Amino acid sequence: MVEPSWTATTPLSRIYAPGRHGVKNDAARLSMAELTGFELVQVMARRGMWSPTDQACREAYGQAAPAKPQATRAEGALLIWSGPDQIFVLSPRGSSLERARLAFAGMASLSDQSDGRTLLRISGIKARDMLAKVCSLDLHPAVFPAGAAAATSIDHTSVNLWRGEDSAGDDGAAVFYLLVFSTFAESLWHTLLDSGAEYGIAIDAATPWQG
Amino acid sequence: MSAADQTQRLAKGGLIDRSKPLGFSFDGKSFAGYHGDTLASALVANGVRLVGRSFKYHRPRGILTAGSEEPNALVELRTGARREPNTRATTIELYDGLVAASQNRWPSLDFDILSVNQLASPILVAGFYYKTFMWPAKLWEALYEPLIRRAAGLGRAATQSDPDHYEKAWAHCDVLVVGGGPTGLAAALAAGRAGARVILCEEEPTLGGRLLSDGGTIDGLPATDWIAQAADELSAMLDVRIMTRTTLTGAYDHGTHAALERVNDHLPVPPEHQPRQRLWRIVAKRTVVAAGALERPIVFGGNDVPGIMLASAVRTYINRYAATPAKRLALFTNNDDGWKTVDAAIAAGLTVAGVVDARQEASADQRALASKHGFAVLNGVVDHVDGGRKGIGSIEVALAGGARATLEADGLAVSGGWNPSVGLTSQHRGRPKWRDDIAAFVPDGAPPGMSAAGAANGAFLLTDCLREGHSAGAAAAADLGFGGSVGAAPSSDDAPASSLTPLWHVAGKKKAFVDFQNDVTASDIALAAREGFQSVEHLKRYTTLGMATDQGKSSNLQGLAIMAELTGRSIPQTGTTIYRPPYVPVAIGALAGHHRDENFHSVRLTPSHHWAAERGAVFVDTGLWKRAQWYPIKGEKDWLESVTREVKAVRGGVGFCDVSTLGKIDVHGPNAGTFLDRVYINTFSTLAVGKARYGLMLREDGMVYDDGTTSRLAEDHYFLTTTTAKAGLVMQHLEFCRQVLFPELDVQLTSVSDQWAQFSIAGPRTRDLLCEIVDPGEDLSNEGFPFMAAREVLLRGGLKARLFRISFSGEMAFEISVPARFGDALARNMMIAGEQFGVTPYGTEALGVMRVEKGHVAGPELNGMTTAADLGLGKMMSTKKDFIGRVMAGREALVAADRQVVVGIKPVDKARRLRSGAHVIRKGEIPGPDTDGGYVTSVCFSPMLGQWIGLGLVSRGRERIGEIASAHDPLRGEDYEIELCHPVFYDPEGGRQRG
Repeated sequence: MVEPSWTATTPLSRIYAPGRHGVKNDAARLSMAELTGFELVQVMARRGMWSPTDQACREAYGQAAPAKPQATRAEGALLIWSGPDQIFVLSPRGSSLERARLAFAGMASLSDQSDGRTLLRISGIKARDMLAKVCSLDLHPAVFPAGAAAATSIDHTSVNLWRGEDSAGDDGAAVFYLLVFSTFAESLWHTLLDSGAEYGIAIDAATPWQG
Repeated sequence: MSAADQTQRLAKGGLIDRSKPLGFSFDGKSFAGYHGDTLASALVANGVRLVGRSFKYHRPRGILTAGSEEPNALVELRTGARREPNTRATTIELYDGLVAASQNRWPSLDFDILSVNQLASPILVAGFYYKTFMWPAKLWEALYEPLIRRAAGLGRAATQSDPDHYEKAWAHCDVLVVGGGPTGLAAALAAGRAGARVILCEEEPTLGGRLLSDGGTIDGLPATDWIAQAADELSAMLDVRIMTRTTLTGAYDHGTHAALERVNDHLPVPPEHQPRQRLWRIVAKRTVVAAGALERPIVFGGNDVPGIMLASAVRTYINRYAATPAKRLALFTNNDDGWKTVDAAIAAGLTVAGVVDARQEASADQRALASKHGFAVLNGVVDHVDGGRKGIGSIEVALAGGARATLEADGLAVSGGWNPSVGLTSQHRGRPKWRDDIAAFVPDGAPPGMSAAGAANGAFLLTDCLREGHSAGAAAAADLGFGGSVGAAPSSDDAPASSLTPLWHVAGKKKAFVDFQNDVTASDIALAAREGFQSVEHLKRYTTLGMATDQGKSSNLQGLAIMAELTGRSIPQTGTTIYRPPYVPVAIGALAGHHRDENFHSVRLTPSHHWAAERGAVFVDTGLWKRAQWYPIKGEKDWLESVTREVKAVRGGVGFCDVSTLGKIDVHGPNAGTFLDRVYINTFSTLAVGKARYGLMLREDGMVYDDGTTSRLAEDHYFLTTTTAKAGLVMQHLEFCRQVLFPELDVQLTSVSDQWAQFSIAGPRTRDLLCEIVDPGEDLSNEGFPFMAAREVLLRGGLKARLFRISFSGEMAFEISVPARFGDALARNMMIAGEQFGVTPYGTEALGVMRVEKGHVAGPELNGMTTAADLGLGKMMSTKKDFIGRVMAGREALVAADRQVVVGIKPVDKARRLRSGAHVIRKGEIPGPDTDGGYVTSVCFSPMLGQWIGLGLVSRGRERIGEIASAHDPLRGEDYEIELCHPVFYDPEGGRQRG
């Protein structure tokens, strides 16, 4: 008997090609990466239990549960609004499911979506131009500031989109994150590559989500 | 051909770049032009007058306008796969190597055979098709349609697939300014200065609008300098975006607009990775329409002879492109603005042959000008023009006093006044209002948030345009709360207002064209009036007035005016037709954008997709999914051989199939059981934790909606599965039930379809395979894991999985779920671990064969028209509780004894292939609607029975088991005998799956 080995794949790992894509200009004006190694828990407050859920969130994560489309940095997790009375808790892989179970016991239903979503990071000075080709939302800095989030559709696919802290790099450009249903991820990835090719894309190595 | 051959090019002036000569070809002949030219201006510069043949009569036609409203100069641009028909030469930016060809002529533009249509014109009148191709009707397909098709259309579409990429994009702003002429620039400046986010769309490659053709002085600067200054100021504003080569084509609800950006139409081939065109959806809080006005022609005999051009276009070619449309120019006008053409002509060194002014009196300045330059001013109208493909022969003038005069000229500029562009403001069923002083329609209201300014609003003076634009831009920004200083409105002290005496039509015997592109003449309008088609909407459809690609931009008003005169009504009484988007033609490619070929829709891949692809699986599209249909191995000659092998391997050993495509929904909450009792016909609140149950849900109308297995994983947590096809719809349905129908229930739903990789493992050796994968501490025996058990198990290597003992194949089977990132590994591990048992991956075909052998219903039977009882599942309908669809399922017709119900079907001749879709007829009856007794829904070749078998929906089927009936398949021309049988063909006792 051979002990089975459980090599994890991601929805993009079989096609992922770090390096340059599209126009060969000096500096890529767009960067994209798959972020791996995260845990994602959908927290859905039970009927009439949003307040206790919010309170539990403050106690466990040090931040209020976002009640409007926002992504809030909390202790060891990012709290992302995902709909009325529900949030995503995004954390580096570890024991976040257990942590959430303890935090929200009796007041919210939890669903593990760690494998159900693929997480992408899109940044660079042309990030907004590229996203404008696939996303109907207004991502102007005044309308969609850092920390803004949305549940929307891209390329006919449901996604959660939020804006993180601006890039620490020279361009100081906005950084967008995209959570997409895993089985759509490869298709969406190709669409994003096509949409951004005219700007020159740097596909960064897939790295674990660091919060 | 060198640049020197541009015989009609002025030595200096214009906005062309003489340092950048370009070569191009038209109808195979080489020409030269300059950067900054359009194809039309380059043709004018080369003295080319004849550019196309008209649609119906194949009349020789020249260039009428200098803008996107051009009805005549339509060409095929480019060649091969990039050939684009009906492209307006007036909007094509010239590039080096451009190839264009005229349309609607054969064998050549100069000699066109179908121009004999002109001789037949007495019968080719309005309504010709309606009247002619009526009888005998049987000739329609054989004769009329091919005849019409051959004659119809202008250019030829490319026969190959378009190699270029198109895309769509969104943009958002506070103030959208439509048009980059003086009005639009003033509006954008004001709104931008106030602090608003502004998008300015300009159809042409450069800003300026009519200023580029007519010049002027603004704030003391020459027009071109002012344009540059305005553009600089706008570019410096962070939140102002100027989009040139972009036509706003439509205004939709909630401030959404469509705009077409011709990103790379001005290049032979788009640069790599760039689209040819981009269709924008621009969402704006306020919109200022500064789209200008279009000059209109006057209808008179022979008004389509090449060489007759709108006066404003003549000025554009001379002033902007330094190309002279004539050497000896005459002018026919009813207003002062037309006279500007005389100035332009004189300045360019042209001879003025004379001015025909329909107004009673020319001004003293105009008379002085005439005497200084030695041309006549004739008070009267152009009665007709003689000429043809060689251009104008003579211009016959009917003088006001009744005398006649003749002008000799090779060019005639015509001005009938200006029509404000009311297309956009009228798109939401708005009707423009009539203004007598300019004899034109102007906007009367607009969609919410939209206003018109400048010439688009009937203000034709430059200084009025600047003032209205500035004020509209400032008002839009202020309305949105932007308080920045907007500065003073730019101003100009140009010529005083132009007087105009309306003149639409000079009656006469010769063909006088109203709609050039669709060859609608003044007499066609008269015919429509006589035959009762007097409403504008009837007039339009009967004569095709305004129905060509230019949508009647330079013809509708003359048509209305003629109809008004004939019916004794005023023009506003006659009314306008409905304005609809798009304002200019939009290529289907731009509407499709990225969504073509493999990008037509998004694709969903299962976690084991790449593993299956490595094994050479054949995939089938199932909705958005790619599913492995079968896994051919070397030497197999067809799909049937592969599928048969897969079925036999499962029934004789063990196989597995990726069923991750099933919809998977987490149902949480204290009332989850009650909730499921209401959406399923059977009961789930009593299901024990650790157990699975097959469930069936109905629609409100009592028909079956979907089915699947639902397991109870905890007291307050169920795991519900749906069919692949209905996954999204069932989720929506359940959310509707949760949020709207049963808000009192404490239930939460989440789709976990993508979270889990799920495989069905089936066959008598399933347990042997599982033992290799599952931790030895887990009890998989019949007692430890009985049929319909469901629970979490530990796998070897420490991974947790969910195991469900459910069977679709009728074999001893489990379904196993692992987090999706381990789906690929699970497939590989099962192949390694199962090698000793001959484990066989199987696809959707084998899955289908085994379900038919077991009589399980699927999509073809769950067709939205069947009840639970029809499917043989009537007993599942609980009588102890209420559920969605219960009451309606009891309707008389839904419980009728003669309903078509599921039965098994076998051909009597065992060697014969059964085909789905065949109708079931009682033996001896003549097939027909009255004797139709149902049809075959699903078929397969059963490896276990060694013959084709199927399921069908047959009237009173269950009472008729054993009956020999007829299969009637008119589609394939087959009639054969079939036996109606019990739908479970294989292991009817079900011992194998429980074993």
